[in-house]
Amino acid sequence: MEKQFSVVGRRLPMLDAAAKVNGSAQFTDDLMLPGMLHGKILRSRLPHAKILNVDVSKAARLRGVKGVVTGAEIPDRQYGIVPKARDEYALAKGKVRYIGDEIAAVCAIDQEIAEEAVELIEVDYEELPSVFDPLDAIKEGAPIIHEGVANNTSFAIRKEFGDVEGAFAASHLVSEDSFYSQPVNHAPLEPHSAVAQHDPIRGQVVLWSSTQIPFFLRRNLAATLQIPESRVRVIKPKVGGGFGQKIDMFAKDFCAAWFAMKLGKPVKFTYERDEVFIGTRQRHPMYLKVKTGMTKDGKILGQQFLAYADGGAYNSTAPTMMALSCFFLMVPYHVPNLLYEGYHVYTNKPVGGAMRGHGIPQARFAVERQLDMMAERLNLDPAEIRWKNSIKAGEPHPGGFVINTCGFAESVRAAAKAIGWKEKRGKLPFGRGVGLGGASFPSGVTNMSHISSGAVVQVGQDASVNVLTGAADIGQGAETVIAQIVAEVLGVSLDDVRVTAADTGATPLDPGTFGSGVTVRAGNAARIAAESVKKRLFECVADELEANPEDLVAKDGVIFVTGSPEINIPFAKALKAYQYKDLPMPLVGRASWMADTSEPTTLFNQPGNFSPSYSFMTQAAEVEVDTKTGKVKVIKMATAHDCGRPINPMLVEGQLEGSIAGGMGQALYENVITEKGQVMNPSFLDYGFPTTLEVPEMESIDIETDDPVGPFGAKEAGEGTQLSPAPAIVNAIYDAIGVHFNELPVTPERILKALEERK
Amino acid sequence: MRSYEYLKPTSLKEALELLGRYGEKAKLVAGGTDLMVQWKKKIISPEYVISLRNVPELSFVTYESDLKIGSATTHRTLELSPIIREHFPILLDAVSNLGSVQVRNSATIGGNICNAAPSADTAPPLLALDAVAHIAGPQGERTMPIAEFFKGPSRTALASGEIVTHFSIPRPSPNTGMAYWKHTRRKAMDLPILGVAVLLSFGQDGKTCAKARISLGVAAPTPMRARKAEAYLEGKEVDRGALDEAGKIAAGEASPRTTIRGSQWYREEMIRVLVRRTGLMCIERAKGAAHG
Repeated sequence: MEKQFSVVGRRLPMLDAAAKVNGSAQFTDDLMLPGMLHGKILRSRLPHAKILNVDVSKAARLRGVKGVVTGAEIPDRQYGIVPKARDEYALAKGKVRYIGDEIAAVCAIDQEIAEEAVELIEVDYEELPSVFDPLDAIKEGAPIIHEGVANNTSFAIRKEFGDVEGAFAASHLVSEDSFYSQPVNHAPLEPHSAVAQHDPIRGQVVLWSSTQIPFFLRRNLAATLQIPESRVRVIKPKVGGGFGQKIDMFAKDFCAAWFAMKLGKPVKFTYERDEVFIGTRQRHPMYLKVKTGMTKDGKILGQQFLAYADGGAYNSTAPTMMALSCFFLMVPYHVPNLLYEGYHVYTNKPVGGAMRGHGIPQARFAVERQLDMMAERLNLDPAEIRWKNSIKAGEPHPGGFVINTCGFAESVRAAAKAIGWKEKRGKLPFGRGVGLGGASFPSGVTNMSHISSGAVVQVGQDASVNVLTGAADIGQGAETVIAQIVAEVLGVSLDDVRVTAADTGATPLDPGTFGSGVTVRAGNAARIAAESVKKRLFECVADELEANPEDLVAKDGVIFVTGSPEINIPFAKALKAYQYKDLPMPLVGRASWMADTSEPTTLFNQPGNFSPSYSFMTQAAEVEVDTKTGKVKVIKMATAHDCGRPINPMLVEGQLEGSIAGGMGQALYENVITEKGQVMNPSFLDYGFPTTLEVPEMESIDIETDDPVGPFGAKEAGEGTQLSPAPAIVNAIYDAIGVHFNELPVTPERILKALEERK
Repeated sequence: MRSYEYLKPTSLKEALELLGRYGEKAKLVAGGTDLMVQWKKKIISPEYVISLRNVPELSFVTYESDLKIGSATTHRTLELSPIIREHFPILLDAVSNLGSVQVRNSATIGGNICNAAPSADTAPPLLALDAVAHIAGPQGERTMPIAEFFKGPSRTALASGEIVTHFSIPRPSPNTGMAYWKHTRRKAMDLPILGVAVLLSFGQDGKTCAKARISLGVAAPTPMRARKAEAYLEGKEVDRGALDEAGKIAAGEASPRTTIRGSQWYREEMIRVLVRRTGLMCIERAKGAAHG
């Protein structure tokens, strides 16, 4: 293929790769400010209790303590990432709802004193009855966790498309099965941290935070502190992974800002690892009942779902999570008739929130498992059943999605080939097997004007390019991708581009990193801003090159006439020409971008085209089961992935490979174990996610499509990849030992028990 | 963490003096990989911390009439020691599968033993090797078979003011195979669900088992020997069937608990499976040793 692009599509290392490797990259907890105080949060020891009294007098008297605050003192303003689902205070008011709920905070001259001080706070509780399972929490007479929320059901969604009963009546095979997905922690290597400082000159509180959403954090912080947004500035330093866990505001953000404003001194709060496990977010455990009707040759006619998500004590993203779980059942397969009923249920446990895939992995696990079970009953090939049911580009979608490009069917074939499907499926010796899983994910959200991105591209006198973007790089490489897009447009090298990002006081609005929208949204803003710079530069040098501006091309550091590369001017010289014409400097391009849609929707009420584009993928696994110990070794995973045109294939590969480790964790290793609301394994040691040593041979296959909306044809590559590794692995386990596992995780004990029961 | 005094003796004598002086207020630290965790969790809060890192008498490996390992020898030193690699594969199995390289660079064998966790990786091999702990204290020196050293979870036979100086391990007879299997969920940075050490010495015929040692970690409140299973194998020709039976006997001797890492039935089942597998490894290794 002809080399179409010079910077886009190349495997370039992340801009901050060296700094991350040599340790010079600054994360929030690395920040040290003169006179900085250290904070610590007191968390509830009970799963459900009224707070009768909080006595802070002993803590306040401890030498070195500079401030104490309790829930009673903070403004009466709840927050939450989804406006209709706000139900949380930074520090609990009147009642605690899970072990770990925040009650009070102290700050002191050092960490040890702060830790000692929180233990001196005396809380009088009146313990209330607790409930730990959503299926118990929905029953009449269950303890009420939030006043006014009947049956502890904070969000319910019921959607019907087509005629499901009719579809079942017309089906050759109808299968009804139950599934369960466990709670999983994101476990980012960087624990959550916040540093706040009052800036008296600008009249602002400045917050450095390990966040995925600087601008939403600014909004939540301003609202809960009851000050104007202009009085809050949020800066995101390097972030060591988020995976969705850092899209909420947390007590550490609020308390750091609170103390900084009250005391006029910088304050730092960094969570311990157990606080990350207990007091932040986790993937929602979900019970799912799935009924599917199929024709004799495996065509899906209709599906019915009943889902109960265990939300833990608060909502966080609940409505969005449930809506995604519902609507994304209609991709990557064509499901003409669908009935979905889903409930988000409060329990006295750690809080569910967004996590890579966001409500879809639970549903995807159920569907991908059931497809294999039904394929077997119909004596059909599970790979064939998948490409046969693939949704196609341009096809009307029952939920209103507009699918511009779709490489799903091709991805099934490619992944199957890479894993050796034909030779291996059903043919390997007992204990070895292969399996598949398919998926689709949105590239961001079309629906709201506050989900827009801005960008400023500025070219200086020395021809250096500076980009301002609000996009939040959390380790996935957003800044690198944006720099590549700008470099490609201007025809300069990546080295010429500098990115300043994610500072609400300096960079333009951006919603942040969630919904896999950064490359498409912030990338498009940067692309348009760069194009406007290029346009003016072309207009300036057109005379000199004796060509129309429209006929000029910028590439590899040179501006030249299409078809006549010998008629050219180097980029730096073009800039000089711009200056000699006494045109105003600097050369600045600006853009704001949001996905265009005729029917915007949050999906809560009406269906519609949720996202500007959709990625598609299939993952295939080969496993080996030790039938005497129950241990599963994943031997190989292959991913065939349609993310449009990858801006940086190496970073896409990183996402795919990371998702394999994450999927292995979900399938085989990870589970946040609670007993009566108490997390029993809140450490990396006890939680036990797989390490690099468990990661198998991996093969990544690009199914390239050229998306019309994304910058240079790109679609998302962040979250979607996390959807299908777990079902692929569990399907491979079935092929290996002939046991269907419909609950996660599939631990050695479960395997051994199942093998013994089968004897 | 309250304020504390960090003491750095440079000889065993000085370390003993400091320990005698501060008694219960003091904690010994060698690698610190267990101590720091307990300290941070506020399980302990010492006023004096006596570091053994600068005591040269405690860090060494020698192999003459017997193997001697200083208590402050790190896992990594043992892992890289030609003596251990050549003659004591059972110890290599244990020290090279603990934590990570970074942890092994710090953690010491004496620390691993004196922490007395049921999961201590070096304990089953030392039990299988009939190791003897050498202890220095205010009353002078004494020795104790390692089998008598563990008194309960986190409890040892050490008296106040005593320090384990080294372990001595008798030279194994020819035709011996030895192996330790650490059964974990993942390959590194994990504690064992079960640890199994087996040592089999064969007679001149190369078949009859002259001596058998089977020891288990995380199978009881302390690392333990499965003496009935050992007795069953001694005097027999050891094959898969005999090892199968030994595994069953060992499972009967053990009293594992249900924890987040594994339930009781699973651990018992793994004793059966892994005693057999580790025993088979011993047979292979004994052959290799005889030929090599």
